[in-house]
Amino acid sequence: MAELEPGLKIDLTNGEKLKILKEIGRGGQGIVYLSEYQGHNYALKWYTQKYSDDFYNNLKENIQHGAPSKAFLWPLMLTTKQNGSFGYAMELRKKDFFEFGDYLLAKVKFQSISAMIEAALQICDGFYHLHLRGFSYQDINDGNFFINPHTGDVLICDNDNVTAQGQNTGILGKARYMASEIIAGQKPDKYSDYFSLAVILFMLFYGNHPFEGKKVVSCPCMTEENERKHFGSEAIFILDKNDRTNLPVRGVHHNVIRRWPLFTKVLQDAFIEAFSQDLIKNPTQRMMESKWEKIIRQVRNQLVVCSSCENETFAGSDFVSTCINCGRPVEVKYRLHTNDHGILALTPKKIVLLGKIKEPVAVVRVSKKNAEILAMQNLAQAKWIVETPDGKLKDINPTEFLPLEKGLKIYFTQHEKGEII
Amino acid sequence: MGILDSAPVPRRTMVLFFIVDTSGSMTGSKIGAVNQAIREVLPMLDEISANNADAEIKIALLEFSSGCRWIYDEPKTASEFRWQDREASGLTDLGEACIELGRKLSRDTFMKTDTGAFAPVLILLTDGEPTDDFPGGLKKLKENRWYKAAIKIAIAIGNDANEELIKEFTGNMEAVVEVHNIEALKKLIRTVSVTASQIGSQSSTVGNKDKQGQVVEQLKKDVEETEGAYSAAKPAPDPNDDWD
Ligand SMILES: Nc1ncnc2c1ncn2[C@@H]1O[C@H](COP(=O)(O)OP(=O)(O)OP(=O)(O)O)[C@@H](O)[C@H]1O
Ligand SMILES: [Zn+2]
Repeated sequence: MAELEPGLKIDLTNGEKLKILKEIGRGGQGIVYLSEYQGHNYALKWYTQKYSDDFYNNLKENIQHGAPSKAFLWPLMLTTKQNGSFGYAMELRKKDFFEFGDYLLAKVKFQSISAMIEAALQICDGFYHLHLRGFSYQDINDGNFFINPHTGDVLICDNDNVTAQGQNTGILGKARYMASEIIAGQKPDKYSDYFSLAVILFMLFYGNHPFEGKKVVSCPCMTEENERKHFGSEAIFILDKNDRTNLPVRGVHHNVIRRWPLFTKVLQDAFIEAFSQDLIKNPTQRMMESKWEKIIRQVRNQLVVCSSCENETFAGSDFVSTCINCGRPVEVKYRLHTNDHGILALTPKKIVLLGKIKEPVAVVRVSKKNAEILAMQNLAQAKWIVETPDGKLKDINPTEFLPLEKGLKIYFTQHEKGEII
Repeated sequence: MGILDSAPVPRRTMVLFFIVDTSGSMTGSKIGAVNQAIREVLPMLDEISANNADAEIKIALLEFSSGCRWIYDEPKTASEFRWQDREASGLTDLGEACIELGRKLSRDTFMKTDTGAFAPVLILLTDGEPTDDFPGGLKKLKENRWYKAAIKIAIAIGNDANEELIKEFTGNMEAVVEVHNIEALKKLIRTVSVTASQIGSQSSTVGNKDKQGQVVEQLKKDVEETEGAYSAAKPAPDPNDDWD
């Protein structure tokens, strides 16, 4: 199948033309070109493999529907069939975004735990919107995400296989990321996506694969048949509570061995549940994105800055914490009990994020005059209303401080409120 | 080490074996083309390996003429591998090469890893008729489980290559290509190595053809696009040979 020369003009289905500028990269399915259309640059994915008419028509429909959310590098324009193939144009990936595979290969690392958490939330949110539309992604794997290591912003790419649930254009993903029923031959749907999502989230937090432990590394030759077994019918979570045959191996699975005990228990419990034999085998019981988001926000609630070493660590309401970096105790004098988002530890430098609101609502600071006094600064655009324990109301305007005191009730917005405890 | 500093994920190993005919008949442009093509494909394999979170690619090369020899005593990563030009002379002891290959396709030697392996890729390059007991050697090799699981492709160079016999190595005719000129030989060495390594070094795709089938499918396309290359399942209509 012909490759495209720089300067070539390609016909789009909308009757206009798109100009090829140069090659950006190539993969198993095709070549990606830098291209220009009406003064803007786009990435053109041009297929070098043969694809069915169904695949082409599905792509056309997806373009008509539009992207489920901003996180998707969604197909925007389709080319007509020409030069023996076809392709679609999408936005160019922005600078500072790296493929998830680069994180796994330790070529790139998250600059903070909060960026890591943000990435996890954005991945969940992206798939939430995709499923809301009735689509399923089909082949979630380590090549589908670009992530910004500083902010945790996510771009989901390779959206050409996305189809309405229950349909399939013939492209199924890598066994390592697939739910067992798909490996066994069923069609993908949102439930199988939930499974792949859990695998990706685990790898994002712990840097190893959830099913690759002792049992799997000791399989000398991972033939296709063995792969179907170890990732499908006989998959066992490396930290399964009941079955200890596939534990992480010292000297091999460094990352998960180090991080599993340090990252908060909320996260441990979630993965133990998500990869229990029960949920592996019962697709409809699997954890959906909204549940993951809730759990990950709870993790975020517990994320604080250690006042001894200034690194990020976790502080919960139900445990006495020591810093995961320096081992010194982390003292939590105040907590914010929110109506909808659980309990947040209010320690110095804590950035208060609530629910899906992307901008911080507040930051906790220490009084310059008296290190014993903590205050919360309003970082929002609007004023808060604060109710004192004796029922008096006062305003805290943007940038103003509220000295912390147990029993204060804060009305952040119409929907968001909390009490200092 | 900070909590966010991570070690690269453990990867499986995928060994690409070149089994190369360096008998006297390969002298001249054929061995020259092999030397050039393998040297050129190494950086491509290195790049595929560097960006692959599923597996690391290693390379081993067995040359056979009168007897056979491994170019290094263990598989090397594409970045470590140094190419030294091969010269051609002697007989075509492919049977012995099969026995030697079987010896090294073992967890005690070449397939030893801490993190497991994918099935290997075996690429056979030959231009002639085996001069030793090839059926006997192959029979022995066929008992090897790594061999059975491997992706197997053969490039038959020129008219004298015995495709009926070579087919016994790959298991079917579709996986044998014949090439009738230097450019086709070089191009096929490159594309076959790249395609087979790409497919062999990834977690298998579900619901698709198996890995061997995917490689063969791509091979068909490469053959269609290459002048002087034919699938042995559909050989050259009127074989004409440009070898010196
Ligand atoms: N929108 C984009 N902007 C910039 N670069 C991109 C964009 N999409 C893909 N690329 C780059 O183009 C190259 C080929 O990517 P592509 O996703 O097409 O490969 P693929 O055929 O899907 O590969 P794979 O076999 O891994 O699925 C990669 O290097 C990728 O980073
Ligand atoms: Zn500390």
